[in-house]
Amino acid sequence: MKEYELVSGLETHVELSTKTKIFCSCSTEFGGEPNTHCCPICIGLPGTMPRLNKQVVNYAIKAGLATNCTINNIAKMDRKNYCYPDLSKAYQVSQYDKPLCSNGYIQLDSGKKIRILRIHIEEDAGKLVHERGDTFVDYNRGGVPLIEIVTEPDIRSIDEAIEYVEKLQLIMKSIGVSDCKMQEGSLRCDVNVSVKPKDVDTLGTRTEIKNMNSFTFMRQAMEYEFDRQVDLIESGEEVIQETRRFNTGTGETEGMRSKEDAHDYRYFREPDLVTIHTTDEEIEEIRATLPELPDSKKARYIADFGINETDAKILVKYRKVSEFFDAVAEKVNKPKTVSNFIISTIYRTLSTDDEREKFDIKVSSESMTELVKLIEDGKINNNLAKDTLEKMLQNGGKPTDYIDESQMGGVDEGELRAICEKVVLANPKAVEDIKGGKGAAIGALIGGVMKETKGKADAKAAQKIIREIIG
Amino acid sequence: MIDKQEIMDIALLSKLHIDENEIDSLTEEMMNIIKFADTINEYDGEVEEFDNINNLSNVFRNDEVVESYSQSEILKNVDGGENGYFPVKKKV
Repeated sequence: MKEYELVSGLETHVELSTKTKIFCSCSTEFGGEPNTHCCPICIGLPGTMPRLNKQVVNYAIKAGLATNCTINNIAKMDRKNYCYPDLSKAYQVSQYDKPLCSNGYIQLDSGKKIRILRIHIEEDAGKLVHERGDTFVDYNRGGVPLIEIVTEPDIRSIDEAIEYVEKLQLIMKSIGVSDCKMQEGSLRCDVNVSVKPKDVDTLGTRTEIKNMNSFTFMRQAMEYEFDRQVDLIESGEEVIQETRRFNTGTGETEGMRSKEDAHDYRYFREPDLVTIHTTDEEIEEIRATLPELPDSKKARYIADFGINETDAKILVKYRKVSEFFDAVAEKVNKPKTVSNFIISTIYRTLSTDDEREKFDIKVSSESMTELVKLIEDGKINNNLAKDTLEKMLQNGGKPTDYIDESQMGGVDEGELRAICEKVVLANPKAVEDIKGGKGAAIGALIGGVMKETKGKADAKAAQKIIREIIG
Repeated sequence: MIDKQEIMDIALLSKLHIDENEIDSLTEEMMNIIKFADTINEYDGEVEEFDNINNLSNVFRNDEVVESYSQSEILKNVDGGENGYFPVKKKV
C-alpha cells in the first residue's frame, strides 16, 4: 500500500463576546428561556432593518491583527441564501468577496505557518431542538455575532490541526474577543479533509466535516475520515466532495446533504447594510489596544525568567493567570518562585479548566508579592511560605496575618551552622545512626535545629550543613 | 446564456414546481430578462466605482442592550408556539 498524507484546512467559527447581537440590540447571553432574547430583526420579520454593531467590526479587526492579517479598508456584507429552519430569513448575512481581514497566519511551535485566507463577520443561526420526531426552534442564538476564520489547506496532520485550534483559541481569549468555550459552542470547527499519496503534490477531493465542538471528537472524526478516504482510493473508488457529520455514538462520519440540494448560495450584496470603511488610523488605534500575545509572553517567560517551556505554557494558557503572574513577577527578583507557587500550590485548589479560567482566588497579587518578598529577604523559608499561601487561599488576607513576628527574621548561614553544630554535639545517638547507614535519623537533627530556631531555619539548608558536619 | 439545467436548479432552490412542458418557455423568458439586463454593458464610457446610491458608509450601532420582546409577543405568528419554541416541519 502507498503511504498517504492527510491534507486539511479549517473553517473556525468563533462567537464574539459582544453584549448585543450583530444587527439588533438583543442580548447575546448564553442560555435563557427559549425565544426570550429576540426581536423582529433577529427572528427575520419582513420589513425590519438590520444595523451593524460597531463592536463586532472592532473585534473582528482585532482578531485579524492578532493573526497577522491585512485589514481591508473596504468591506461589505452579503446574503448567503439557503433554506433551513434555523435561519428565519432563509439567508444568512455574511461576507462574500470583501471580508474584513485577509492573508494572515498562525505559527505552530515547529515554526510552520498555517496561512489564514480570510476572517469575515456573520450572524449565527438559531438552535434546533428535536424531540419525539418533532423539530422546534429557539432563536436566542440567531443573530449572535461570529467571525469565521478560514485557513488555506496547509495542515498535514491531526496534531497540526489540533495545535492550530488550540493556538487560535488562546489568541482569541487573550485579546478578549471571545470566551471560546467549545462546550457552549462559542468555538466550533468545520474540518476539510482530503488525502493524497505522500509523493504527489496535487490535492485529492475533499470532504467537509461540520461543527466539531471538542478536540476529542475532532481527532476521532479526522482519523475516521482519513482511513475512509484511503480505503476508497485503495479500492479504486472515488471520494465524493460532500458535507459530512460526525456521529459521536458510532465514531464515524456520515454524508449529510442529499444530492438534489444544488449547492449554490446565490450570494448577493445585502442591500440593507452599507459599506464598512476602515481607515489606516482606525486600524492602528485598534492595534494599539492589543495585549502581548500568548506566544510572545511564553517566549519572554522562558528567556527572561528561566521558566521551563511546560510551566510557561501553563501560565499563558489562562489570561487571568498570566495577568496575576505578570503583576507579581515585575515586582520580585525571582519570578520563578511565583510560577512555582501558582503551578504547585494554587492550581491544587483549582482543579478544573473552568476554575483556572476564572482564577477566582482569595489571594491578591499584592499579598502574593509580599509573600515572595519575605522569602527573598530571607525572613521566611519556602515551607512557611507555602503553609501561609495555603492559609491565604482558604481565608484571604495578607501574609502577616498568618506569620508571627517571632517566626520571621530568618537565620543567616553562619548562625545556622553554629546551631547545627550544637545540635549535632547534643545528639550523639542520632549521629551514630546516620553514620551506621540509617539516613532517616537525620530527621531528628533537623527537628532539633527547627526547635532551636523556632521554625525559622530553612530545612534544606540545615540538612546540607548537618551532612557537611558529620562528613 | 442560460440552459435548461440552470432553470431546474433555480426552481429547486426556490422551491418552485415546474412542469416539464414549461421548461422551454421559461428558459427563453429568463434568457430575455438577462439579455435586457446586459444592455447596460453596451455603455463604454468611463465609470467611477459605484458603491451605493446614497453614498453612505459606516452606519453603526453601539453595543448596548435594549430589552428584547416578550416570548409571547415573539411567538404570536405561530399561535403562541409550543413550550416557548417555534414548531417547524421535521427537516433532518
